[in-house]
Amino acid sequence: MPYLMALAIGTMFGIGIFLVLRRNLLRSAIGLVILSNAVNLFLLCCGAYDGVTPAYTTAPGPRADALPQALILTAIVISMGGLAFVLALLGVLAHRERTADADAMRGLRH
Amino acid sequence: MDPHLPLLPIVLPLAGAAAALGLVATPRARATLALATMLAATLASLVLLREVWSTGRPMVFQLGAWPAPFGITIVADLLAATLAVMCQLVMCAGLVYAWSCTDRCVRDPAFYPLFLSLATGLTGAILTGDLFNLFVFAELMVISGAALTAIADDRLGSEAACKYFYLSLLASIALLLACGCLYVSYGTLNLADLAQRITATPDRPLLPVAIVLLLVFFLTKSAVVPFHFWQPDFHTAAPTPVSAMLSSVVVKLGVYGVLRMTTLLFVHEAETIRAVLVALGGAGVVFGGLTAIGTHNAKRMLAYSTLAQIGAILVAIGWGTPAALAAAIVITFNHSLIKAALLMLAGAVASRAPVKSAAFADITGLGRSLPLPGALFLLGGMALAGLPPTNGFVGKLALFRSGIEAAQYGALAVLAAASPLTLVYVARAFQRVWWEQPAAGLVPKAGGDRLVAPALLVGLCLVLGVWAEPLLALARANGEWLATPANYVQAVLRR
Repeated sequence: MPYLMALAIGTMFGIGIFLVLRRNLLRSAIGLVILSNAVNLFLLCCGAYDGVTPAYTTAPGPRADALPQALILTAIVISMGGLAFVLALLGVLAHRERTADADAMRGLRH
Repeated sequence: MDPHLPLLPIVLPLAGAAAALGLVATPRARATLALATMLAATLASLVLLREVWSTGRPMVFQLGAWPAPFGITIVADLLAATLAVMCQLVMCAGLVYAWSCTDRCVRDPAFYPLFLSLATGLTGAILTGDLFNLFVFAELMVISGAALTAIADDRLGSEAACKYFYLSLLASIALLLACGCLYVSYGTLNLADLAQRITATPDRPLLPVAIVLLLVFFLTKSAVVPFHFWQPDFHTAAPTPVSAMLSSVVVKLGVYGVLRMTTLLFVHEAETIRAVLVALGGAGVVFGGLTAIGTHNAKRMLAYSTLAQIGAILVAIGWGTPAALAAAIVITFNHSLIKAALLMLAGAVASRAPVKSAAFADITGLGRSLPLPGALFLLGGMALAGLPPTNGFVGKLALFRSGIEAAQYGALAVLAAASPLTLVYVARAFQRVWWEQPAAGLVPKAGGDRLVAPALLVGLCLVLGVWAEPLLALARANGEWLATPANYVQAVLRR
């Protein structure tokens, strides 16, 4: 199981980095989504205990570490806000420049 | 003293932002409220600084009364209190500038709430004692700064904001990965607890990975040379009151971070980190100086000059002696005041140009009929280049003296060789705007942005240049505090 998880997270990082490096800004935004989800999974795997039942309950079985879950919840909310903002900006830019190609947006190159 | 005091500099701007959101229909009331809350927050952080400095102990507040390694801790040690005062002073000046700013975006209902949440994020990231909480506050700061740039009058603002936000999201991913690496190795994210545990077992395999990822995060925040490419675009396209904040205090978050890394978290590996900082800082001083000379826009020139100044700060942090750390604090403080003032002056001159722009082609000779901003720019430029009687001279003197004491002659030679570059680009800007003949028919528009805020900041630069002892004493005390991280750890963990 840990190996499968590591492989899955690694693959997600690979896909995310590949997409972030695309010239098309929309693809690169999708890459950001995948990267932030890969980071959340990575945080989940950093938990101290390999548990299956929630913390602070009376259910039997090994407890799960609650802290990474709290971190992930926060990170999910923040990355959702951030990605919404990026997509809104990309919408404005693509509408204004009539392209989603990063190399074609040259306004800032003096 | 009330134990809630360390919370006030964070909570006041946040409450102000929420309240200002309600005042949609009354722009004046919004501006007044923003300025009032920011002044109150500055007052609170000044009281906090005085309290921490006079008692000699960090003030710690445990949120929700959870004891230290389990809950979120707000820690005001001398470094955090000093930087909080610095940030909020400059933020107040920014709000004073925005008061009379002629940009349309200042009247946007979201402007003041975003400005205050920028202040909240910055102060919170400095005062928090928890690595994940730092991530949350840094994200608040980043998203406020990017949104403030995206609503700029300059139509390139949204492009610049997009660029910055992309890179900041990637930097945040690096920070989250570092959080994961540290949590899996040490089981805590509280800075004091981490420091203690890393000192006890410094040989965990993921520790170097975490150090590199944290460095990537903080160096991106500070726009240090290999991570700098977003910074000149972003700072040039932002509205003047915002770009004056971004290029002066917001970039200081990274400086704060590397100070904490080398003096609290990773004391064992500090030598390696310091060698990297000296190399990157030296490269930044040379690169920033040369590129600032080659620019065609006054604001862009000042943004590149920030690369050089941050480079000098990093070199001082890299030397690592208490005297060098004190010099780093002095330069950090001074640079915030100087750079904010100069960017405001560049913006004020641009606001008088027929086409609102700070490009030299549009403002050459415009200053001949504007003597007051010229005098202020000259004084600010002298401070940036480190000439007496300004505070820039005091900082540079402290830097060179600490370098000679630490016998770091190689880095000193680079700094000395690069320091005339500052004089070259400041003099060139002054000459183009205030000396050269204007193009035919170029007369300044009436109105424009008022000069109250930059005049206050330049005045403060002169006062701190002539009466430098309080700041120097504060910086020396900071250097001593940073040399004894055990006090920080004990204050937080109460052991």
